[in-house]
Amino acid sequence: MARAAKSALVLCMDVGFSMSNSEPGQEPPFEQAKKVIQKFVQRQVFAENKDEVGLVLFGTDGTKNRLAKDGQYENITVHRHLMMPDFELLEEIESELQPGGQQADWLDALVVCMDLLQQETMGKKFERLNIVLLTDLNVQTSADQLDVIINSLKKAGITLQFFLPFPLDGEDRADGGGDGPGPSAASARPGKGLSSQQTQGLEMVKNIMTSLEEEDGLEEVHTFRDALEKLSIFKRIDRRPMAWPCQLTIGSSLTIRIVGYKAVTEEKVKKSWTIVDAQSHQRDDVKRETVYCLNDDDETEVQKDDTIQGFRYGSDIVPFSKVDEDQMKYKSDGKCFSVLGFTKQELIRRHQFMGSQVVKVFAARDDEHAAVALSALIRALDSLKMAAIVRYAYDRRSNPQVGAAFPCIKEKYECLLYVQLPFMEDLRQFTFPMLENNKKFTPSESQLSAADALIDSMMLVEKDEDGESVDVFKVNHIPNPQFQRLFQCLHHRGVNPDDPLPPVEPWLKRALERPQAVSARCQAPLQDVKTKFPLKVVVKKKEQKTSADVFGSSADEPDAKRVKVDEEMEFNLAEIAAGNITSVGSVNPVRDFCALVRQKTVSFDQACQQLTHRIEQLLGNRSPEYYMKSIACIQAFRDQSVSSGNAELFNSYMQSLKRSVPDRNLQEFWDLLIQDALTLISKDEVDGSTISKQDANQFLAFEQKEEVQAAPVQEDTGDVDDLLDMM
Amino acid sequence: MAEWRQYYQNEDDEVEEDEEDSGGDYKISGRDSLVFLVDASKEMFIKSEDGETSNFDMTMQCVRSVYTSKIISSDKDLVALVFYGTEQSKNPRNSFKHVYVYHDLDSPGSQRVLDIDKLLGEKGAQFAEKTIGSGETSLGEALWCCSNLYSDIKLRLSHKRLMIFTCRDDPHGGDGAKDRQARTKAADLKETGVVIDLMHLTKPGGFDVSLFFCDIVSPPEDESELGLQIEPCRKLEDLQKRVRAKELKKRSQSRLTFSLGEGVNLAVGVYVLARTATKPSAVKLHRDTNEPVRTKTRYFHAHNGGILLPNDMKRAQVYGKKQIVMEKDEVDEIKKFDDPGLVLMGFKPMDRLKLHHHIRPALFIYPEEEQISGSSCVFTALLLKCSEKNVFALCRYIPRRNTPPRFVALVPQREELDQSQTQATPPGFNVIFLPFADDIRTLDAHVGPTASDEQVDKMKEIVHKLRFKYKSDSFENPVLQQHYRNLEALALNMLEPEPIEDLTMPKVQMMDARLGPLAQEFKDLVYPPDYNPEGKPAAKRKTVSDSTAQASGTTDCKKDVQ
Repeated sequence: MARAAKSALVLCMDVGFSMSNSEPGQEPPFEQAKKVIQKFVQRQVFAENKDEVGLVLFGTDGTKNRLAKDGQYENITVHRHLMMPDFELLEEIESELQPGGQQADWLDALVVCMDLLQQETMGKKFERLNIVLLTDLNVQTSADQLDVIINSLKKAGITLQFFLPFPLDGEDRADGGGDGPGPSAASARPGKGLSSQQTQGLEMVKNIMTSLEEEDGLEEVHTFRDALEKLSIFKRIDRRPMAWPCQLTIGSSLTIRIVGYKAVTEEKVKKSWTIVDAQSHQRDDVKRETVYCLNDDDETEVQKDDTIQGFRYGSDIVPFSKVDEDQMKYKSDGKCFSVLGFTKQELIRRHQFMGSQVVKVFAARDDEHAAVALSALIRALDSLKMAAIVRYAYDRRSNPQVGAAFPCIKEKYECLLYVQLPFMEDLRQFTFPMLENNKKFTPSESQLSAADALIDSMMLVEKDEDGESVDVFKVNHIPNPQFQRLFQCLHHRGVNPDDPLPPVEPWLKRALERPQAVSARCQAPLQDVKTKFPLKVVVKKKEQKTSADVFGSSADEPDAKRVKVDEEMEFNLAEIAAGNITSVGSVNPVRDFCALVRQKTVSFDQACQQLTHRIEQLLGNRSPEYYMKSIACIQAFRDQSVSSGNAELFNSYMQSLKRSVPDRNLQEFWDLLIQDALTLISKDEVDGSTISKQDANQFLAFEQKEEVQAAPVQEDTGDVDDLLDMM
Repeated sequence: MAEWRQYYQNEDDEVEEDEEDSGGDYKISGRDSLVFLVDASKEMFIKSEDGETSNFDMTMQCVRSVYTSKIISSDKDLVALVFYGTEQSKNPRNSFKHVYVYHDLDSPGSQRVLDIDKLLGEKGAQFAEKTIGSGETSLGEALWCCSNLYSDIKLRLSHKRLMIFTCRDDPHGGDGAKDRQARTKAADLKETGVVIDLMHLTKPGGFDVSLFFCDIVSPPEDESELGLQIEPCRKLEDLQKRVRAKELKKRSQSRLTFSLGEGVNLAVGVYVLARTATKPSAVKLHRDTNEPVRTKTRYFHAHNGGILLPNDMKRAQVYGKKQIVMEKDEVDEIKKFDDPGLVLMGFKPMDRLKLHHHIRPALFIYPEEEQISGSSCVFTALLLKCSEKNVFALCRYIPRRNTPPRFVALVPQREELDQSQTQATPPGFNVIFLPFADDIRTLDAHVGPTASDEQVDKMKEIVHKLRFKYKSDSFENPVLQQHYRNLEALALNMLEPEPIEDLTMPKVQMMDARLGPLAQEFKDLVYPPDYNPEGKPAAKRKTVSDSTAQASGTTDCKKDVQ
């Protein structure tokens, strides 16, 4: 369900001198408004939205707009005409957006913006037109044109948003100012009243907004802080999800025309990173090549055309060509929303919701018969506390789902909420030991009351003066920090290519923390919990992973091969002695090496040389299966070296191997050596060694620490932490 | 680890690709193994009172369902099927009498499913009679044979389980020597880490576990558990449920610290109890030999052809004319906000958890006493209190390093048992992912007329007629089923795949029959005679431009979403 069409939006910012006034220690409204604009443009640029944006400043020293004539519309500057925001705009805002020394009427500025929108959208299609006004309203305005302005806004279908340094209603004004405090903390501007111009301005804002959109209009008056932390600007121009028209069917004869929209779904970062050459920064300098090769010792390359696809069926691999697969696969008969039956809502467990979206289902637009029919279904389900179980298929190509459609009745509309439910194959039934009535873990009365008190002190829902409960930590009002952070870093690096990345912005950090008020409240109960519940980190017994653990289940094919590696560890010497081994081969290097050393047909040096040659070959593959084999080789090398009392060859090989780790990207392999404790041979083991026991121990450990700093931080490396802990 | 992760597949692969969730737990990695040790005595073939299935038949159906589900969900696990009390003997060294290894410990494939099919039903009983027969019983020999199966496996086994299916509570009929031998062999097996379960089946007069089997089976996982199901299984469904509950080793996806604040930390394991099963990815095979091929990917310089090492490359994005370049580790660092873990923000009443705040399947957490002792006690106290006060805990969740945070609701779930005293829901917290502002889309609700009471009441009748009891495991995925049937057909050279029953299709005829005239009555109430809901009203196709124009008919429903 992609989204379509674009919007046009004009940012209209007051840069007049009053915007620079602020209480001591407070950020001036100008700076706050600038940040809002910056954040907005940043997001538009990096999310590569196609919306067009213009920037109009008022209160500027100069004048630059189409309407300026005869002293009218002065000190208003069209800084940027309507176009897609780009990196230059970001740079301009950063360097050129300065406080002005004048004041200008914000209604005049609004008219300039309307004119800009009308002139520059002519002949193009836009889904939405929006003007965003950022001002402190601290200027005398002439209200005589107000009705005309409202009418032409309505006529042109232009929506408005206001961003002010203070909230609309005086009630929670104390909570309004500044970008300082966290969501729940009361802020700073106590006692600061509004000037008469501001009071008058506020009335006009209310007047405009209510005439445009009735009572809902007031919801589009925000504080600067809201703008930063709740993405409020984006709400207006947010593209609407694509409609999915379909028919809800019950049996063969009852059909209702419906339209579905994706209402909730996880937004992901869309743009991916490309790989460029470190020196030239050119993408074309890097070529990527993928080759297919057989699993034999020579890694015989195979042309892509000579491969076919197959699937595992348990232990079998079944060749199954793409053509056959397409022909034989499950075919769905196109889009559908068919009721399979109705069930009690309580039988559908919240934690068994599957998929990554919630679809809202309405009756087809402008079809009142469908609306009535669907309404009957929604209301029937609602009063029976039931839900429909439906088969849902988005289209012919997509896989069918089974899901639940719940009734949803709101003040203004009704719909069904569709969520996917699991298939039998999706579920895992694990049994866990019981916790209650388990003597070892049963909390005592006093422990229970400590937990009780903790919960009471940490409620995130508070009662306001009117006795209504207010959620002080609404996750769905927090912008995804991943996007915020990514855009911040892109912006920073774009402007300052040689600087290190900036720290996470304080407001974002705060938004992810426990609200201060809650933190303060729960101090004592937490202390109580701390004393009543003994919690002790269990000192891990040697919890090292050996390479075999890591690869134990790794399922890398072929299985037989790995079995062989295991067997090699327990080879039978008698058998080897009987064989006729003359060099270290690639199939079973450990066996060959051990045989050579034992038979003494070649010198120890030579045997070692042959072995290291094989190890190097194996490491060239950089794949776990070969790592296993290499480790077995190194283990054998070490064992044989110790038993022949010759530490030098092994130690010098290991030292050179270690030096080559960063260049050959063998960190993972080195980790495995660490886990198997395959370190240098020390004096304690072989007299001739020049390495002390301590040096030997440090040999691997030291490398590990260095590596953590040097090596690129890997995904899914929680285990590296564990290793560090151990050392 | 990106490069070798691609070779590193485990059963949680898709979750991993999602980059947000990590794979199975390294420390307990290895193959799972399961031996079915099935009594083949005459008693097992006696048909039940209703004359339908014998205990043997029921057991075979159960084994078959484990085989097929293993093929789909965990094809690396090893399974064996061994009969005891047989006439014939067949085992690796043929050193055990009256023990018949029907399937050695190996990952199940298509042939094995067919082998089981031969043992099903009336024909199956005859086939069993002919091939394995019923004879003397020595459970000790059988257990010894099984322990050899385990020791012959050279792979690392993470979880070893043996299930005994029998309806005889005194298999040796009072032969003390044989009882003793069985006890010794069972003890040996348990010593090597094999967990022995008893799946006892009905027998006339009741199955008395204390006679003999109480000394054979493994002690329960925790002292409170009874370990032995008191009631023997009567129905296939019960047996399957019981087997399934034991058959899968639970694996935590990760172990994390759950911080309540002020240094009060407990340890929890994170489990995936539901995730979308998908077709496994295809394996590339060599056309001539059908042997699997590997892929190697490397980067090299376009001009001089030199191999590029990771340090020779950087990451870049281009916006307009602007190229922004970062190091690989900077790209990772951007995603880092904090160390992995769960951090408690506070609590909210359950009604603040909105039905439609859903972005991904839930996870499950359970305390990890081995990491931080005392975790279970705090966890239990929180679980009890959250459940009693009807609140959920709101937490910040970072699954791994360099992963941005998500907020989750920890919803308390107390243990529930079903009629047969099997755990139906485990105790712990379900972890529900909550959407950020970005994840909630603004949409224009359709506003239309609403239904009258009469219309609603008619619909209630319809709903009433089509009621059923939803169970989360009652629908199979037809796409997957078809895929595996296809593979099965190809693997076994069948002419065509067995047809699947698509349970996701509405049973239209049955629904129509149940509704009778109700559907028409409802339509008469809501639709005018000339209205055809199935026809496409051509004129009504909306284009982008007129959806702008009709802003008046819509209301912004974003705030309701919130």
